[in-house]
Amino acid sequence: MMLLFWLAAIWLTGFGFVRWMFPQPLRWSLHNILLFSLGIGTGAGVASCLYFLALVLAGSSFSVLPAALGAALVIALVLFLFAKRSALLDWADGPAPPWYLTALFVLAAALAVTMFLGAVAYNPHGDEGAWSIWNLRARFLFRAGVFWRDAFSSDLSWTHPDYPLLLPGLVALCWKLTGHESSDAPIAIAFLFALGTVGVLVSALGVLRGKTQALLAGTLLAGTASFVALSAALYSDVPLSFYILATLALLALQDRHPEDLRFSALAGLMAGFAAWSRNEGMIFLVAVIVARAIALVRFGDRKALLPQLLRLLFGLAAPLAIVIFFKWRVGGLGDWLSVPASTILKHLSDPARWIVTVEGLVVILFNFGRFLIPIFLALALYWYLVRFRVGTGDRAALATIGIALLLTLAAQLLADVLYLDNLGLEISTSFERILLQLWPGALLAFFLAAGPLQLVAPRPLGKVNKKGHKAARRAAETR
Amino acid sequence: MARHQFAVVVLAAIALFSSFWFLLDVLGAATHSTSAFGVTAFENRFSDFPSTVRPHTVYGYLSDNPPNDPSALAEFHLTQYVLAPAIVRPSTRENLVIVNYHGKNLDMKLLAANRLRPLRNVGTGLELCQGDIR
Repeated sequence: MMLLFWLAAIWLTGFGFVRWMFPQPLRWSLHNILLFSLGIGTGAGVASCLYFLALVLAGSSFSVLPAALGAALVIALVLFLFAKRSALLDWADGPAPPWYLTALFVLAAALAVTMFLGAVAYNPHGDEGAWSIWNLRARFLFRAGVFWRDAFSSDLSWTHPDYPLLLPGLVALCWKLTGHESSDAPIAIAFLFALGTVGVLVSALGVLRGKTQALLAGTLLAGTASFVALSAALYSDVPLSFYILATLALLALQDRHPEDLRFSALAGLMAGFAAWSRNEGMIFLVAVIVARAIALVRFGDRKALLPQLLRLLFGLAAPLAIVIFFKWRVGGLGDWLSVPASTILKHLSDPARWIVTVEGLVVILFNFGRFLIPIFLALALYWYLVRFRVGTGDRAALATIGIALLLTLAAQLLADVLYLDNLGLEISTSFERILLQLWPGALLAFFLAAGPLQLVAPRPLGKVNKKGHKAARRAAETR
Repeated sequence: MARHQFAVVVLAAIALFSSFWFLLDVLGAATHSTSAFGVTAFENRFSDFPSTVRPHTVYGYLSDNPPNDPSALAEFHLTQYVLAPAIVRPSTRENLVIVNYHGKNLDMKLLAANRLRPLRNVGTGLELCQGDIR
């Protein structure tokens, strides 16, 4: 019960913050679903950063932690109450989806929840990587008191002490606040991040493309068995996928609302939290900045480049500073710096390593997601039947997403080829995880590009007008 | 319209059937599990270990697993996970060494070969030993 209370407090901190940035009245709306979902990652990121700062500045003193979180919560609530209205993010225009699409989405979500609960009931501590790395670190932070830096001892080099602390910090914070250690905390956190990822995908696509594409994308993500399994494995890949998706979705929304630079600022914060969740998040952070610059220069408004990049950098400054401090003073830079240049050159010039990588890519293309039929074939069929139609206003957003995801993937594969000794093992065990980190973002790109769907016969003119009036009235209220 | 309906139904059906198939796998594993090799089972082996492990303590570790046994590394990692915030080193040259054995009785030859002196049994298949730190 106490865990639920503290998780609600953490979420409320995030929700208060994002609602301060994009305020609208509290009612059932797409706008608030998006804020609800973004609040999960924002609250988790803020709480984890505060926990780390409290550890560094005040040691493991218990009283500091609730005070720090309480202060953040009060600030968020004050911001929450005194915020002024922003643009309303509502469903994009389009025909109402047929009933069966909503039913399919609900069914996929119910199956995903059942699958998640079944997996964590069977394996409450998660897969080996979860307990031997992430939760082990959380145990050290929670149990070691003033000796919390033992978590980064050279004796534990096999646990990768350089891995950022978003997830272990959050788990340890929950244990500290509730006063006892239980596997419920990592399970609840994993569930919230999976829920938030589906929420961000559906609500962002709802704004950008309408209800039909949003529900279909949500069905596909909730129906990706590997994604649910990875979430139940209690790894930090799903939190990273949340932050990647949130960053890209906010940048896509930025292009729809070019005058409101708060989207870029919040996207920067999400990218910063991505870097605080995994080392791959740092690669994504660089990739998204490069991608945004290329996309705006090539497809967008060049005048918007500098203000948007400045807001992006402003948003990511705080979490990035924490990541840099962590790497510099606590966790270290990792073992990749210790690989001699001769080894890197040897790996680079070894054709067998490239062949193994390409083979791995081809194999995963067919096995990805544990779909019964290779999903790329199904998506190709969907493209053939529906086609892509990208509006001029979405080109920069789509280019940002595409370039950022491809750069991130390419950089990760290159790092594997250059640095890893046991490349074959790494590809067979972690290739899919890397792709799953990018999967929600890829779904956002795919359904953002897909042409409009016509699933029901056009309604009589009178009904359409009635709906149209309702949408126009809402838009007028917003203005 | 029919093309679009077909596209949507195919995509959603693949996702749902795949989910359902995987759900059956998960439920099958959960209901037919006999000897789950996992954290809970391993933690239960440490039932007689002192409940509070002091931070900064270092334990050595020795196992009778064959060198190429894939579970050897996992069991070492599990030992570290259970004993955190103590640090466990894969060495017998520590003051206190945890010996993880899988037979019915502790192999005294293994202890002698590693210059270990048994102190007390600390759980199922676990012996706390005095190490040779010379």
